[in-house]
Amino acid sequence: MCGIAGLMYRKSSQDFKTGEALIRMLDGCQHRGPDSTGFALYSPEPSGRLKLRFFIDSMVEPTVESSIATIRKRLIELGASIEDESHAWDNYNVTIHYDGDVQKLSYGLEQTAKVISIGTSLEIVKDVGSAYDVDDRYHVNKFHGTHGLGHVRLATESDVKPEAAHPFWATGFADVAIVHNGQITNYWKMRRRLEQRGFVFTTDNDSELIAVYLADKLANGAQLQDALSTSIDDLDGTFSFLVSTEDEIGYAKDRLAAKPMIMYEDDDLVAIASEEVSLNRLFPGRALNTHEPAPGTYATWSRSI
Amino acid sequence: MVSLDLAEISVRDANVQLRALAETGEDVEILNPDARHHIGVGLTAPINVTVKGSAGYFCAGLTDQAHFNISHNVGWGVGDNMYSGSVIVGGNAGAIPGVAIRGAEIVIKGNMGSRAGQVMKAGTLCCAGNANFMAGYMMYGGTIIIIGDSGERVGEDMSSGEIFVAGRVQDLGSDAMLTDLEQTEIEGINEFLDRYEIKAPKGFSKIINAGKKLRYGSAEMPVRSIPFHSFSGDSEYWNPKIQEDIAIKAQSGRYRIRGYGGARPLPHLSDIGFRKHFTSASIDRDVIKKVYMATEIGGINGAQPLRLSMPVMIAPMSYGALSRSTKYAIAMASAMSGIAENTGEGGMSDAQRDAAGQLIFQCLGGRLGWNIHDIRRADALEIYISQGAKPGLGGQLMAKKVTPELAKIRGIPSGIDLRSPSRHPDILGADDLVIKVEEFREATGYQVPVSVKLGAGRIRDDIKIASKDGFDFVELDGMQGSTGAGSAEVIDNVGIPTLPAIIEAIEALEEIDARDKIQLVLMGGLRDGVDAIKALCLGADAVAFGTSVIVAGGCISCMQCHVGQCVTGIATQDPEHEKRYQPTVEAGNIHRFLESVRWQIAAITLALGYDNVRHLNRGDLVALTPEAANITGLPYEPVATDSVSLEAGASL
Repeated sequence: MCGIAGLMYRKSSQDFKTGEALIRMLDGCQHRGPDSTGFALYSPEPSGRLKLRFFIDSMVEPTVESSIATIRKRLIELGASIEDESHAWDNYNVTIHYDGDVQKLSYGLEQTAKVISIGTSLEIVKDVGSAYDVDDRYHVNKFHGTHGLGHVRLATESDVKPEAAHPFWATGFADVAIVHNGQITNYWKMRRRLEQRGFVFTTDNDSELIAVYLADKLANGAQLQDALSTSIDDLDGTFSFLVSTEDEIGYAKDRLAAKPMIMYEDDDLVAIASEEVSLNRLFPGRALNTHEPAPGTYATWSRSI
Repeated sequence: MVSLDLAEISVRDANVQLRALAETGEDVEILNPDARHHIGVGLTAPINVTVKGSAGYFCAGLTDQAHFNISHNVGWGVGDNMYSGSVIVGGNAGAIPGVAIRGAEIVIKGNMGSRAGQVMKAGTLCCAGNANFMAGYMMYGGTIIIIGDSGERVGEDMSSGEIFVAGRVQDLGSDAMLTDLEQTEIEGINEFLDRYEIKAPKGFSKIINAGKKLRYGSAEMPVRSIPFHSFSGDSEYWNPKIQEDIAIKAQSGRYRIRGYGGARPLPHLSDIGFRKHFTSASIDRDVIKKVYMATEIGGINGAQPLRLSMPVMIAPMSYGALSRSTKYAIAMASAMSGIAENTGEGGMSDAQRDAAGQLIFQCLGGRLGWNIHDIRRADALEIYISQGAKPGLGGQLMAKKVTPELAKIRGIPSGIDLRSPSRHPDILGADDLVIKVEEFREATGYQVPVSVKLGAGRIRDDIKIASKDGFDFVELDGMQGSTGAGSAEVIDNVGIPTLPAIIEAIEALEEIDARDKIQLVLMGGLRDGVDAIKALCLGADAVAFGTSVIVAGGCISCMQCHVGQCVTGIATQDPEHEKRYQPTVEAGNIHRFLESVRWQIAAITLALGYDNVRHLNRGDLVALTPEAANITGLPYEPVATDSVSLEAGASL
């Protein structure tokens, strides 16, 4: 149960304050989810290096230093060379040079660390608390980029923990993230189907399932819009979700339209949110010509480069 | 013209000012609305409000007589439950515009979202653009005019009212049909469109209820009178209950409907007992004066709490399932005993309001009888999500009980087999619910407690959501709760019994460190003060009695509440039957029963060594069966006796 937001600046030349914009959008709909807040942020120019973010879990390792040392050791074992690293609050962030298969890397880290995201441009920041709480810890407002997703969460069926917060990274697939409002009722059926094909799930959250489902389609050569199209038939339940990749964002909405979604589009940007009040946070005092996506539809946007 | 700038002040402050300005008749413009929710909620005087921009959810909700003009878009539920007045939306409207309106004119110049006019009772909803799916879903009356296309399944499960579509009728909903228009109807619509400067289209299709689904093909069979102990018989496999059930189904070919409570043995509060020996209770005759029992419910977030003379209230039961005289008697008795009465579904009668000292007003998915004026005279509001007897299902009121008077209060056609929806139009998740709760707070100036009634099902999740969504208290209803009418299969097979329900609820709140953030009222087959005190020991803040109150007031437990011919005049709307019920006499009986509850609570509290009911705790209890020990985590000590209260009673 939650609120979602997505934003893409269409022109590639400028420097966009994606983090700050998403904070404002999420603050606008924080009433929909006071427990936790998260962001999927895409930096403008992928460096060719992989960025990894981890939760440091004090339950597993006695100290922060030993947690980081363990992750470092495992990364090197898996063939990565560390180029840059930082530690903020409960997150350890590292940039690596790695030529191998991302899925192998991510499954290889599975037993050692809690991976938040892996991508050439994607970084996911999520934690308990409000949009401004999370910003205080991780300085999301300083983040500039091209596009991103945001999520506020009211925990209903699972715990209030940072790792249960959204967005979810498509475990094993670089740069794919999702935010979702709703409930997938054929979750276990779909998950077993994907597990039989060797995919690993790191949570029991239905949003991770959607992310992996879509990423699998993309990895097999489907366009994002084709993957979204089949998701409406394959997924059962109530859902309004947003998905992002390195250069695209998209939405899909179930046929019952039980979860709200509203969007605004102009030459410079496309913004989608659960409620118009979030869109208005980007344009205070302006009456916006918004559009409500029809039930059972999907769409994608990519940057004009 | 006064300007209120939402860039400067909150919606809450703006609504306070709007209410004051409405009394003086001053026109108001709202600047920088920026799609904020609840603009203008709760206005009940003639006022013109112009919103310069877009409004969020429930704009103009719970209003009467006010006129709104919104220059741009609105979110979900514009004009929610409006009585009279008007709303003009310059742009698009989100889902459920005109939900549950009981009058008023709502005009949307752009497109409108799904389920437009859901459960509306009267008034006109007009859309100059296209409608999304299920316009007129479960509408009970009034008119919907769609100039563009109808959307899918228009008129789904409508009971009454009319839908006119000028564009394409995409497809008809269940139990809806096309019919011919009279010339006078077209003239009436065109006059309406002219007033709102909408160009009249060439013609319309008219959609009404087809009347195929709202009535049962076969009548409910009368049940042979068998005593309850036979009816609930668990001793023989093919007992009389089973035989009769099969025989009746062989005639009707469908599921059974009946009233009253569950008829199967379940773990209950009788499976736990008190640990200590009661030493002093039987000696002292003046126990009530010695024990502090006054309890406040609903004040933890700053609202005016219910002030109960003891931790007891009346469980929600509707005027509809019960006769007006019965509700009147219960209201009188509740006032005599200084506790709160509850309207249940279906609205508030003047007699009930006047007689009850404190009255909780319940809001259900059908919004039957729900309105701003009665909200204003309620002492607490309650959102019904589900009930213990039939969690997750809607209500059923057989046609015989839907009298013209009852239909008028509920705003529905009389004489239909009334199905109340199982879901709220505007509560599809915890995220919507929080916005709904806020609407009620705005409508009552944050002065009235707001509670939620939950049938015990997914308690652990539901109770956490209730706490996070800011409710003041929960009425938690276990499986042993009764109903006026429900499917027998559901009554006996669905839900969580009352005993494990309270245990799970307390555990869930402790898990998120929120036990002090919400109050718990337990109900569902509680029979007397002994059950009450056990519930208090287990952690309930108060308890509610339904069936036991009815029984105290003359019910003979024949389980035929659904038929509408109750011989005692309780569960009937037939004036000849109701005549038998003597409200004043029964109020006295109910009051005396409630006073026996008070005495039991006082005596046992004192016997356990306390002078305040708040000091009761789990340590006072033991489990009398291994099953109860497993459920409650209490020590299994079958030697402890439950008969002490009887000894104490004997001394009086």
